[in-house]
Order: sequence, then structure tokens, then C-alpha cells
Amino acid sequence: MVQGALAGLAAGGLYAVLAVCLTLMSRLVRVVNFAQAATGMFGSYVGVALSVHGGLPEWLAVVLGVLLGGLLSVLIGWVVSTWLAEAGTGTRSAVTVAVLLLLISLSFILFGNKPQPFQALLAGPAFTVGGVVISQVTVVTVALAVVIAFAARLILTKTPVGISLRALSERPTTAELLGIPAKRLSAAVWGATGLISTVIIVIVAPSQSNDATSLAMLVVPAAAAALLGGFRRLDLAVVGGLVLGMLQGALAQVDQLSVVRNFVPFLAIVGLLVWSQRKEVWDAAR
Amino acid sequence: MMRKFLPALASAVLVTLVAAGCAGTADPNGPIVVGSVNALSGPATFPESSQAAKAVFDAANAAGGVHGRKIEYHAIDDKGDPAAAAAAAREIVGGDQAVALVGSSSLIECQINAKYYQQEKVLSISGIGVDPSCFTSPNIGPANVGPFHDMTLTLLYGSEVLHLQDMCALLEIAGNTLPYYRAAIDEWSKITGKKLKYVDATVPYNGSDYTPYIVKARAAGCKAVTVNPVEPDSIGQLKAAQAQGWKDVTWLLLTSVYSEQYAKAVSDAGKGVYVPAEFYPFTDPSSPRTKEWRDLMTRNNIPLTSFSQGGYLAAKYFLQVLNGMQGDITRESVTKALREMKPITDPMVGTPYVFGPGQTHHDNIAGWPVKLATGTNRWEISGTDWLRIPRR
Repeated sequence: MVQGALAGLAAGGLYAVLAVCLTLMSRLVRVVNFAQAATGMFGSYVGVALSVHGGLPEWLAVVLGVLLGGLLSVLIGWVVSTWLAEAGTGTRSAVTVAVLLLLISLSFILFGNKPQPFQALLAGPAFTVGGVVISQVTVVTVALAVVIAFAARLILTKTPVGISLRALSERPTTAELLGIPAKRLSAAVWGATGLISTVIIVIVAPSQSNDATSLAMLVVPAAAAALLGGFRRLDLAVVGGLVLGMLQGALAQVDQLSVVRNFVPFLAIVGLLVWSQRKEVWDAAR
Repeated sequence: MMRKFLPALASAVLVTLVAAGCAGTADPNGPIVVGSVNALSGPATFPESSQAAKAVFDAANAAGGVHGRKIEYHAIDDKGDPAAAAAAAREIVGGDQAVALVGSSSLIECQINAKYYQQEKVLSISGIGVDPSCFTSPNIGPANVGPFHDMTLTLLYGSEVLHLQDMCALLEIAGNTLPYYRAAIDEWSKITGKKLKYVDATVPYNGSDYTPYIVKARAAGCKAVTVNPVEPDSIGQLKAAQAQGWKDVTWLLLTSVYSEQYAKAVSDAGKGVYVPAEFYPFTDPSSPRTKEWRDLMTRNNIPLTSFSQGGYLAAKYFLQVLNGMQGDITRESVTKALREMKPITDPMVGTPYVFGPGQTHHDNIAGWPVKLATGTNRWEISGTDWLRIPRR
């Protein structure tokens, strides 16, 4: 079980990074971005295409792919903040479901449904703990999750930009009337999370199933992880991601429980929603 | 008011009934309608099989047709959706009055339509049969080996040719396939007297991270692993093994991963990937065995894959039977001819094809070994003859 849990750390780190992005988006621009992983998938696919078919050097193709992921995210953010500026979180989030489906379909059309020849940026084991190999990908994903969550917290609490962002998220109209450049700051948040998502997908895609649907649907376990922090707390989003990945890894070690492994994110979502609503009476919660 | 409508309604019903009657009668001098049900869109597509069958029929039409009649080929998309698969079969068999189905290739089509084909007394020569119903129905006779015999073959190659020890299985189970994979492994055990060291039948399709399953298999002491994966899953599994530093493992996989794209995507393959190709390996461009197929596919811009080999062969077998027929070509006469046909040999397969009167059609038992060595990104021929499941 311990072996399995450690083996699940790589997936856990990935979920944690995406969960941090989801939490930042929810807190700062009032969107649960269902296209978070799909944006990264699309950017990384374009990177592969530029390298394989465009003949670009691998590093340049990766950089361009990551930049495209960021730009794509900014574009979605521009649409949402232009036409749905006053809409509620639900409506703004629903738009990203359409983007998720669009990006999956577009990747099938542009790249087909055959596997892409991703080149590993990181490959092989980093070190061994108690007979279990910890891969380089695991080390980097877990470290990235912690570093990004910590950096985001620092920026939000200690810098003028962070304080403006918090003002914007708490009282958008008041902040705008005070002269805070709402649109530019929103675009920066969309762009930063788009870049981070693409970077993490570029790192993990070579070491796991990397068809468009599998990669885009990573948003589901990431959302389960973000839910642990109520889409507000970055530290709990990281913990949620790591625990979810380790739990899935541990469950895969027991044949009878292995099937449950695939449902863990859904069970976590339902469980956390029920827990968070426990004090609500039925009519109020509806 | 009602009186005015009744005659109009009666006329409409009459016209519909007459039209339906006409649709049921095939023109004895018109084109011979042949159909197929395929996954042309959706999450997993197999377009090459029906494209190849169409190329064969187009070539036959250009050469004068069959007994002076052209073949009209209808390839319908099932989108990987059960309802669409059922509708597609009804459109071809009930609507278009096809005499047979040839070159179908779909993940679900056989399971959905096998009973309907029996009911309509129509036969299907699938280009690529995938699900168990393709091999257990009296009315479906695929041109390919299929994943179950493929698994027996890959195990035989591992134990009897490569002399591997400590062989294990990681099985990805969809629908009702587990008993069939277990039977395929049992078949290998009965032939060789050997047992697998470890079997994990809980490996998911489209899993995002296979590391826990790889860690488990490695801890069990596996030196060779057989898997029944689709390409992305296998790539994920090999990459997970690579990340774990598991290099002394041999992969015994199925034709489902035998593609150029897979070879390009996998560079570190442990001690190698071995596959019993269900048709003579298409990655050997110099072989005369595949020349005719290769030329036709190239002329028609159809990808050179196992799927296009299956569709091509299904159409060739069907044409040969059709050309040997006397009298009217109707669904009844085609069904009878396929049931009574003599076996057809082709250099691209190791087992002669025969539809025959059997209640099941799972007779293709030969594969040609190919290998993907670490770091090469290229498939190589790994044998000089067909590998066959011994008849017991």
C-alpha cells in the first residue's frame, strides 16, 4: 500500500498544480475553469506538431507551445471578462465547458486520434525510498505544486498587485471605480494559469496516456482536489491533489479495490460537497 | 373534416407501403449493394478498413464489375455509439437491401448487431473484428486474427521462442471481454504447460497514470508482461516503466499497438516490444507478399496499416466468392455461397480464409512476429515464418 501511495505521487503532484490553478482562477476571476487542463493539452500538442512536422528545435517548439497555452487562456479570459463581466460564477464557468469540448474536438481534427510522439523533458528515476523509485517527474510536479502555491500566496498577501487582485475579486465594481485595471489584471491571471497548466502538461504528457481526452479530463481530479480547499485555500488544494493521487495509487495495489480507484475523484467531489453543505437545511441548500 | 382527411391518409399509407415493397426487391441487373458499419468518427476511429474495401471494389468495377454488375459500397459511420451502430446496420440491411457486409471495423458493432444479422440472414466479413461477438456469431466471420488469439500467440512467442521466464499479464477489460482473455491465456497454458506468474485484470482503459500498476507488476517479479492495450495506454505504461527505471522487462503486446505512430512515440521500450502482426507486416516495404495491397493503397492515398490490410482482404475474399457464383446474386445466394465457399489463401495471412457453416468464426490462428527495440523507433521483422497456435 505504501509503495502504491508513493507511486501515486506523480499523479498527485499533477492534480495539485492544476488544483492550485483552479483555486486561483476561482478566487481571483470568479471562474471554475473546466478548460484548465484542455488549454495545456492543446498547447503541448501544438508544441509536438511544431517540433515533428514544423522541424523546429525541440526546446523552441516547447516554448512556443507553452506560450500558445498562455495566449489561449488569455483569449478565453478576454471573452469572459468582455461579454460576461457582470455574470455570476456559474455562467462564467459554463463558458469554459464549451471551450473544453471545443479544444478536444479541435485537437481530434488537427492532430487525429493517434498518439503523439512527445519527447520526455524529464525521464527516469530521481531516487529510491524504501525500495520504491521516485521518478524525476514526481519530484518536479510535487515541487512545482508547492512552489506555485507558496509564490501565489506571497504575491497575493505581500505585493501591491496581489492586493489589487484581492480587491478585484472581493468587490469587482468598487475596485474598478477606484482605478484598478480590472481587465488587464484578469488577463494576467488567465495568462499565468494557462502558462502553468501547459508547463505541467508538457512535463507529464510524455510519461502517461496522452490522448487529448485523457489530458483534458485531468480537470476532474484537479477539481476534486481544489474542492478540499473550497476553491479558496491554496494549501488545501495542494494537500488535496497529493492525497488524491496517493490514495489512487494505494487503491490500485489491492485488486478488489482497484476499480474504486477510478471513481475516487467523483466520490471525493460528492463527499466534500455533502460535508460542506452539512449545516444547511434541505430547502436552503437547494 | 375527418372525411376529407381519411382518403388522403389512406393514399399516403398506400404509397408508403408500395414504396416499402419496392425497397425490398433488389434489381437483378442493377448494382450489387454491399455495406459496412464502421467507427469513422468518435473517440477511437478505424476508417482505413472500409476505405481499403472500397478501393478493392472500385478497382473491380473499373475492370467491368462482377458478372457485368457494379458493386455499390455503402460504408456507414457508427460514431462508436451503440444507437448509431444499430441504426447503421438497419440502414444497410433493411433500407439499402445489401447482399452482405464487408470490411466493417468498429469497437462495438458486432456486439450490437450480431443478433440482427442472424434475424435478417445476412453475413458480415469484418475487416477488423474487435469485440468477442465478432468471433462468436454464426453470421460474422472477420478477416483478422482478433485480440484473443493474438494474446495466445504473443504468449507463445514469449515463452517458446524468446524463452522468457516469469511472464505476467496486465489486462485492460472493457465490457464482457475478461472470460475471453482468460480463455486465451488458458489456451497458452494448455499448450505449454506453463502458468503466468501474476495477472492483474484491473488495469483501466484510458488511465491517466499507470505507475501504480507498473510498480505492482515489478514488485511481483515479472520479467515479461503481456498487455492488451490501445496505443495511448501502452505508451503510458512504457513511459511509467521508464520513469521507474524498469529496464529488464519485455513487452508482449497485441496488433493494436502495431503502427508507425506508436513506434515514433516510444523510444525506451525496456528489452523490447514484441507483437504477432495479424497480417504480414506492413512495415516491410520490400516484401512481394504485400505488393498488390501496397500499390492499391498508395494509389488511393489510404494509410498503410493493419486496418487497411484487414479491409482489403475482406473485400478480396468476398469478390472471389462473388466471381465464382452462378445465377442471381441476392442476399440468399450470397449467404449460401459464403457458407459453402472453399478456403482462400493469401500471402498476407498465415491461415486460409473460409466463412463456412460454423456457429462461430475464429479460425485465423497465425501471426507474423515483429519487434520494436529500445531506441530504434522502428518496427523490425522478427521471424522467418508465421507463428501458429498449434491445433490440439
